[in-house]
Amino acid sequence: MTSFLPIFIAETGSNGLPYRLPIHPNLVHLTLGLFIVAIAFDLVGAFFPLEKPVFKFLAIPATRANLFDVGWYNMVAAAGITFLTVAAGFYEIITADIPRDAVSSWGLGAMETMIWHGLGGVLILALIVGMTVWRGFQRFVWRQDRSLQVQWTYLLAGLAIFVLMFAQGTLGAHLGGEFGLHVTADQMLRYGSDPNTL
Amino acid sequence: MLEYLPPLNNHNLPYPDTIHPIVVHFVIAMVLFAVACDVIGYFSKNARLYEVSWWNMAFATVSIFVAIIFGQIEAGLAEPYPAAVSDLNLHTLLGWSLSAIIATITGWRYIIRIRTPEKLPIAYLGIDGVLTAIVLVQIYLGDKLVWIYGLHSEPVVEAIRGGAL
Repeated sequence: MTSFLPIFIAETGSNGLPYRLPIHPNLVHLTLGLFIVAIAFDLVGAFFPLEKPVFKFLAIPATRANLFDVGWYNMVAAAGITFLTVAAGFYEIITADIPRDAVSSWGLGAMETMIWHGLGGVLILALIVGMTVWRGFQRFVWRQDRSLQVQWTYLLAGLAIFVLMFAQGTLGAHLGGEFGLHVTADQMLRYGSDPNTL
Repeated sequence: MLEYLPPLNNHNLPYPDTIHPIVVHFVIAMVLFAVACDVIGYFSKNARLYEVSWWNMAFATVSIFVAIIFGQIEAGLAEPYPAAVSDLNLHTLLGWSLSAIIATITGWRYIIRIRTPEKLPIAYLGIDGVLTAIVLVQIYLGDKLVWIYGLHSEPVVEAIRGGAL
């Protein structure tokens, strides 16, 4: 067993964790959902004049300011929750039982995948916090009186971060789905027991 | 006919990785955040958060149908071994039910938003609580399928193909 911290962890189950289900992948739902929807609503707000007939056709009353509210509050929530996502991620890194020989479909070993995913996580956390601060300045200082609350560069930066998130997410998917880290059945198979005896 | 479909990979999928767990970001995060906005909005009397809640619910409503489409494709290709079958069935049943539940709640919210945009009935907050509970159960079941039974993970697919599972 190769682990960063084999001794100082609580007693673990066959998934290598002191609890039944990993926490990090669940918090990831919140980080990604909130961030992506924040940028999406700012985009909808930015193109609002074009969408007016669509909202009218759907009989959904919509104002531009409300769409930008979603862009702001969802981004704030993404920034807050992502500290927990990263913290849980690091705990589940140090408790992972890392296979030495396997290679992912991106040609990376488990340790390399994990290091990139760990670094990527810290980078994306910093970017989300930075985007939130940037968004706050646009909302409350620079563009307080403008009907277009966000800058085009902010939206482009958001789209660029989507690309990073795709790479980060795929690395994370490889850790669980290919190397089987913290997957109970995969760990059981690796050590020769039958997942049907769960 | 089947030869026109892409071949299945090591995850028993015709595309690189599972998509359903990604699409559910937009149901889980949006529903839970909508509920959080309702609660904070109710106690802080901030009606702006009601708008944020409504738009998040509207987004979740569209997303859950996409999530179900990919969920059905990936459930169909999961080849669950005996231990995983009942949780997969329950997850499927609850998933379809949630589409109706979320759509209905969003419909109610649409009416509330048109009639009294600044006020949220306490009964709606109660339904928010019920919805949160159902979503958490559904997350728990989906988590079991991925993190306990390892459906679509390479080691499990390999064991199933090799006849070991």
